[in-house]
Amino acid sequence: MTGMTKSDGKQKAAVAVSVQNVNMTFDGFHAVDSASFDLDQGRFLTILGPSGSGKTTLLRMIAGFQKPSSGEIFINGAPVSAAPPHKRSVGMVFQKLALFPHMTAAENVAFPLKMRRFDATTIPERVQRYLDLVQLGSYADRRIHQLSGGQQQRVAIARALVFEPDLLLLDEPLAALDRKLREEMQLEFRRIQRELGVTTINVTHDQREALVVSDEVVVMDKGRIQQMASPTATYRTPANAFVAGFIGVTNFLNGTVKSTAGQEVIFAAGEREFIGHWSAAAGAPTVSANVVGALRAEQVRMATSADELGQCRTVLSAAVTDAIFEGERTAYEVTVGMDGNIIRVFDHDPAAHKQFGIGEAVFIGWNPQDVMIYPN
Amino acid sequence: MRSYRTAYPFRWRVMDTLEMLARVLWPNRFSGAVPYLMLAPAVLLVLLLVIGMAQIADSSLHVLDRSTFLPSADFTLANYQTALRQPLYWMIIWRSLLGAAVVTLLSLIFAFPYAYLMVRTPSALLRKFLLIALFLPFFIGQVVRAYGWLIILGNQGVMNEMLGWVGIEPQRLLFNYPAVLFGLVQYMLPFAVLMLAPAITAIPEEIESAASSLGANWWRTFTHVILPMSKPGLVGAGLVVLTLSLTDFAMPAVLGGGSQDFIANAIYDQFFRTSDQGMGAALTLFLVGIGSLVVGVIFTVFGAGTLAMGRGKK
Ligand SMILES: Nc1ncnc2c1ncn2[C@@H]1O[C@H](COP(=O)(O)OP(=O)(O)O)[C@@H](O)[C@H]1O
Ligand SMILES: [Mg+2]
Repeated sequence: MTGMTKSDGKQKAAVAVSVQNVNMTFDGFHAVDSASFDLDQGRFLTILGPSGSGKTTLLRMIAGFQKPSSGEIFINGAPVSAAPPHKRSVGMVFQKLALFPHMTAAENVAFPLKMRRFDATTIPERVQRYLDLVQLGSYADRRIHQLSGGQQQRVAIARALVFEPDLLLLDEPLAALDRKLREEMQLEFRRIQRELGVTTINVTHDQREALVVSDEVVVMDKGRIQQMASPTATYRTPANAFVAGFIGVTNFLNGTVKSTAGQEVIFAAGEREFIGHWSAAAGAPTVSANVVGALRAEQVRMATSADELGQCRTVLSAAVTDAIFEGERTAYEVTVGMDGNIIRVFDHDPAAHKQFGIGEAVFIGWNPQDVMIYPN
Repeated sequence: MRSYRTAYPFRWRVMDTLEMLARVLWPNRFSGAVPYLMLAPAVLLVLLLVIGMAQIADSSLHVLDRSTFLPSADFTLANYQTALRQPLYWMIIWRSLLGAAVVTLLSLIFAFPYAYLMVRTPSALLRKFLLIALFLPFFIGQVVRAYGWLIILGNQGVMNEMLGWVGIEPQRLLFNYPAVLFGLVQYMLPFAVLMLAPAITAIPEEIESAASSLGANWWRTFTHVILPMSKPGLVGAGLVVLTLSLTDFAMPAVLGGGSQDFIANAIYDQFFRTSDQGMGAALTLFLVGIGSLVVGVIFTVFGAGTLAMGRGKK
C-alpha cells in the first residue's frame, strides 16, 4: 500500500519514503534482502548495521545510483525506480563527502542550484543563507582543501540541502572524524534537520549515533531489516538476539525452556536454571525450545555479599577476572561458578562503590524482566 | 616453529650482503655525497645536451662556402636571415605548428573516452583488451607503422579496394596533409591515453555520483566536473603530444612523401642532403625556440601546478 497518510499516529503525517520489498542481488549474493519500511515526512531515520550489511546499497537505491533487482521505492507517493538520480529530489552527503575540489565552498553549494536551473538572480542569496545555516558564512570563497574536516562536512551538508530536496541521505559522512568532532556534528545534523524539517535517512555503524540523533532506527544485518523502532524501543525491546547483541554490551545465556508462565520463562543453561521474560517483539517460546537469554551489562549488579543484592531475584557467586576502569563506569568480567560462563558487568558511579580487584570473590545479581528471551 | 628460512627471507639476506659490500666500497662517512652521486647521471646528460646545443649554436653562425663546401671562418647571422627570408621555411614552420595543434586536439578528444572507459569499466576483461590494444602498436615502432599505412592507404591498398566495393573511384589517400595528421594522431593516441588514465583514476567515482544527485546529467557532469578535474592529465598529455608531433620526422617523411615536410624533415635535408650544417643548425635552433615558446605559454596559461608537480596544489 502506498497511501499518502498514516492514521495510526497521533498526528497524520504524510509518508515521505516508502521502500517496498526491495531486493538487490550481485551475482546471486543478496546485498539487500526484501527491505520494506515507511518513513513519515520530517522524520530522522537511521539505518544501523555492521559493515557489509547492505546499508550503502539500500541508500544508493533510494538515491537512484542503483536500480533494485526487484521491489519499488516511492518518494512522496510516486514510484522512482525509473528516474535517474538527477531527476530525483534527493540530497546526499557521501561517505567521502565528494566535494568538488576545483570549486570554492560557495561554488560547491551553488552547483545544484545551477544544475537544477534555479533562477540565477536568487542563487547568491540562497547560497549565503545555507552557508550561514551551517555556520560557514565567512568561508564562502575558500577552496575545499583550505577547509578543515569539520568545515568540509558542513559544506557537504549545505550542498545537499540548498536545493530543498524532498529527502536528505547521509552515508556515514561522520565515520572518518575523531570522536569529539563526530559527536559535535551529530548534534549539528540534528539541529539542522529540526530547523528545516527535512526528511532524513542516515546510515551508520555507530550505535551511539543511531540512538542520539534519530526519531527512528532501522537495524540491518546481512541485507535484512531486523527491526524498525524508536531509539528507546530498539534499545529496551530488541526484536531479536542480533539487535540485542549489536546495540549495547550484552551477555547471552543459551538454554532450553523448562516452563513458561505469563511473560516469564524458566530455562536451563548448563546446570543452572534462569528466569527471563519474552517480549511481544520476539514472541513466546514453547517448552523445550532452544532459547537465548540476553542480559545487558548495566543491568547486572555486583557486591561482596549476597545480602546487598536483596532487590535481585537472580543471584550468583562469581570471581572477577577482569576490571577496566573507564571513568564514569568500571567494566568487569566475572566468571560464574564452575561452568566458567563469563558475564560482563558495568558498575556505574564507581567512586561511590567499592572497586573490585581481579580474583576477588563477588556476588552478581539481576532481575528476570531484564533477561530478554529469544529463539536460538 | 617457523624455520629460519621463512623468518628471514632469502631476499633480505641478499640485501644484507649487498649492503655490506656497499659499506666496504662506500664507507659511511661519505654518505653525505650519496644524493649528489645519484643526481650525477642526470646532470651529466643535461651537460652533454648543453654542450651539443652550444656546438649547434656555433655552427649556425657560419655560412656554407659553396665553392669549398666548408663552413666560413667568420661569424655571421646570414643563415638566420636566409631562413627568415624564405617563404618555404615559414610555410614549414606554420605547417608543423598547425599540425601539432590539430594532432594534439584530436588526440585528446579521441584519447579521453578511451582512457575513461579503460579506467571506469567494471569488466576486467575489457580493461585488459583496451590496454593490450593500446600497447600493441608500441611494439611495432613508428616507422614500420607508417609503412603499414602506406600499404593500407595506397592506391591499390585495402582502403581503396573497400571503397571500390561500394563503387567509389580510387582516391589519393596518401602524400597529403590529412594523411600525415592521421598518422600522427594514430601514433600519439597511446601516449595521450597513458597520460590521461592516472588523472581520471584520481577522480573518485563518488564525485560523479554526487554531481548526478545534485542534478547534473551526464553531459553536465562531464563538462562541469570530470573535464575540469582532469586538467592536470589534459595539460600533461597535451604537452607530450604537442612536442612529440611538432618535432616528428617519420610520419611527415613517409606519409607526406616529401611534399608535407615538418621542421625536422627540413633540418634533416639540410644536414644530410645539402650538407649545409650551418643552415641545419639555424633551423634546429628555430625548432628548439618554437618548442620552448609553446611549452612556456602553456605553463603560464595553465600553471606548472596543474601537472600536479610540487608540493602546493595551485
Ligand atoms: N557493486 C557491487 N558489486 C558486488 N557486490 C557489492 C557491490 N556493492 C556492494 N556489494 C556487496 O554488498 C554488501 C553490502 O555492501 P554495502 O551496502 O556497501 O554495505 P555497508 O554500507 O552496510 O557496509 C557487501 O558484502 C558488498 O561487498
Ligand atoms: Mg557503507
